[in-house]
Amino acid sequence: MMSLDAAHGPSGKVDLRQLTPEQTALEINGLNLHYADKQALFDVSMKIPRKQVTAFIGPSGCGKSTLLRCINRMNDLVDDCRISGEVLLNGHNIYDKSVDVAKLRRNVGMVFQRPNPFPKSIYENVVYGLRLQGMNNRRELDEACERSLRGAAIWDEVKDRLHDNAFGLSGGQQQRLVIARAIAIEPEVLLLDEPTSALDPISTLTIEELITDLKSRFTVVIVTHNMQQAARVSDQTAFMYLGELIEYADTNTIFTTPKKSKTEDYITGRYG
Amino acid sequence: MGRWFKSGSPWIWLTGSAVSISLIAVLGLLLLIAWRGLSYFWPATIYQWELQDDNGQPYRLIGEIHDREQVPTDRLKAAGHHFPADTGEFVERFLVKTGNRELVSLDFRWILASDILTRSEPKELAVFERSKNGNFYGEPVAVLQAGTKLETASVEQLLQQRIDHAVALNAQADALQKHDIGAINYQLERLRLQARKYQLNDDYTEAHQTEIAAEQQQYQQQYQQLEQQLFAMREQAGRDAVVVKDMRGELVTLSLDTVLNVTYSNRLSTWQKLLTWGQRVGHFVSDEPREANTEGGVFPAIFGTVFMVLLMAVIVTPFGVIAAVYLHEYAKNGWLTRIIRIAVINLAGVPSIVYGVFGLGFFVYMIGGSIDQLFFPEALPSPTFGSPGMLWSALTLAILTLPVVIVSTEEGLSRIPSSIRQGSLALGATQAETLFRIVLPMASPAIMTGLILAVARAAGEVAPLMLVGVVKLAPNLPLDMNFPYVHLERKFMHLGFHIYDVGFQSPNVEAARPLVYATSFLLVTVIVTLNLTAISVRNYLREKYRSLEN
Repeated sequence: MMSLDAAHGPSGKVDLRQLTPEQTALEINGLNLHYADKQALFDVSMKIPRKQVTAFIGPSGCGKSTLLRCINRMNDLVDDCRISGEVLLNGHNIYDKSVDVAKLRRNVGMVFQRPNPFPKSIYENVVYGLRLQGMNNRRELDEACERSLRGAAIWDEVKDRLHDNAFGLSGGQQQRLVIARAIAIEPEVLLLDEPTSALDPISTLTIEELITDLKSRFTVVIVTHNMQQAARVSDQTAFMYLGELIEYADTNTIFTTPKKSKTEDYITGRYG
Repeated sequence: MGRWFKSGSPWIWLTGSAVSISLIAVLGLLLLIAWRGLSYFWPATIYQWELQDDNGQPYRLIGEIHDREQVPTDRLKAAGHHFPADTGEFVERFLVKTGNRELVSLDFRWILASDILTRSEPKELAVFERSKNGNFYGEPVAVLQAGTKLETASVEQLLQQRIDHAVALNAQADALQKHDIGAINYQLERLRLQARKYQLNDDYTEAHQTEIAAEQQQYQQQYQQLEQQLFAMREQAGRDAVVVKDMRGELVTLSLDTVLNVTYSNRLSTWQKLLTWGQRVGHFVSDEPREANTEGGVFPAIFGTVFMVLLMAVIVTPFGVIAAVYLHEYAKNGWLTRIIRIAVINLAGVPSIVYGVFGLGFFVYMIGGSIDQLFFPEALPSPTFGSPGMLWSALTLAILTLPVVIVSTEEGLSRIPSSIRQGSLALGATQAETLFRIVLPMASPAIMTGLILAVARAAGEVAPLMLVGVVKLAPNLPLDMNFPYVHLERKFMHLGFHIYDVGFQSPNVEAARPLVYATSFLLVTVIVTLNLTAISVRNYLREKYRSLEN
């Protein structure tokens, strides 16, 4: 771990063109995806660095969420969905036949657009993933619950009502609870699919601060339609358009000196 | 007018009146059944009428008014009655319950208001409820012990005392007969079957023979002892008797071993009548039927109905839920699934008697017959499971209500937001884990809805049961103290069939009619109770998993 941090340099920045295998969390190679007859992703290739925040931006329907869902194989749930190409997690193709999808998803957590807590208590929501793994020791669960809730910056708000129904929380609290639930099982990668689109500005701010904290422990990939958000929270940004990865560079470069005209058009608000 | 039409008010009135009509229909039905059924237990006034017959001869009647109606005079004249010239167009006539069935041929008779000379309500008249021959009306004049008259200041008090004594003894004797002697009979039958089993296996050795004979001997001895006790008790209960002056003015001696209670209805205050009414209702729901179901209680029928419905619920719920889970969660939504779904929905429209025929052919004869061949060959040719019974009835009704459970469970499953399923899958749960930890608990209110509908339908179903297990009189409940305690092969009584049997198969129509209402009311009450229980469980579950609402 120490050597990794050293490789990032003093600012934590990495050079996307020269990522070493240790610095690469995910590598996507020639990924094509079809929904029935319609192709949704065209030959996407990219490397996502470890313990950094990578943002996918682009107009609605550009395939950014689809790409995100390829990383934990959520697209498997869709009938008539065909995928070619590979997604390497730590050098292993997750679309390999030998891969256990449930195990993969324990390593690649996901938070959805709308908060989706289970109809259980706050406590049971957080320890759900741990119980699935067979952890039943009360003390371990209590510790993991507190750790995760603190990690999701919601502990102080809910510590006195851990056993109340999770639906009593506000939307922003629910979303942080869902993040706590995702990090409770200690995944390597955390996928956030427009996590603030259903929230008010103040909750959005809290979540954005949280994302910046999370990158010290996880590789974070976030999909957002909000360019300011991408600029605020991410280290790398990928711009997608009509299923193609148009440009992928560190966030500063994308927002100040984009190389492709489409990227510039989008960022300057000419469409989207 | 046009504006009124456009405003939408007519539509509101139309829908509102449709609701009111349904409400009135339901309430009217319940009120009628409840009133007719419950007033049967009210201690009615005992009247004494002095009448004259067509020849002018006076006679006396004692009894309760059961019904009254207006009859056209012409019709009665045509039937041979004579009336004075100033008689109106209609004559009132009363249906009188006179009881005393062993002395008069009919215990109900019509009397014409024009024949009545006087009507009185003597305080000394009493009604005896008896375990044989129905009610007896008359004036108690003396109490006999072993044939000799007892001197007493108050016949009423002494009589009450002696009746309580006899009733207690009879209850003891009944318990002895039913439980202790019943258990011995059960054991003797078991030994007989065991011996038969040895014979069938060519294994009836000397050792077995002596063993069984010894046991039989032991049970026979116990049996004889108990039988002696029983006879002693019965004799003791029959020691006392009461002398009653009946409506013909003759003295009749009634042995107290058949008398259940005595009520001086004309002496009771309203409060006492209410008390008597409560006692009678209590007896109705807790006693066994007597006199070809026209007297006594309906406890075995209540028990049979509830037990059968619960057994059905236990069978149909897992079955229906599993089928719905497969259809909704695992099966691809292709043409085959659609056909299966349509077939399931159509099953709900099959007439219930068809299920009865199916149950008889498939469950009783095929499965039951095979079970008998395999496991109970020693009892053949008399069937064990190969004849209609509780288990087959519950299974038949389970199939009948299966579509309801499947459809409502599927509906519940489809209402669970996919975001919640995905949330679980994204945490590394397999589809099965998601199903058991998230989806099924959230669908449980819908499953309960299906169960409520199933119970409501099953509890009211009679036609298929007549083929697969219901009888008018079952000697034993399907639950008793003899191992294995639950006897699912036994036939049982059912409130729905009881109504049919009492109302249409009874030799004594007038006596049976109030019982039909009372039993109907009871059946409705039982169904409502079952449903309310299920509904409260559902409401609890809904509250617990209320995420669906937001």
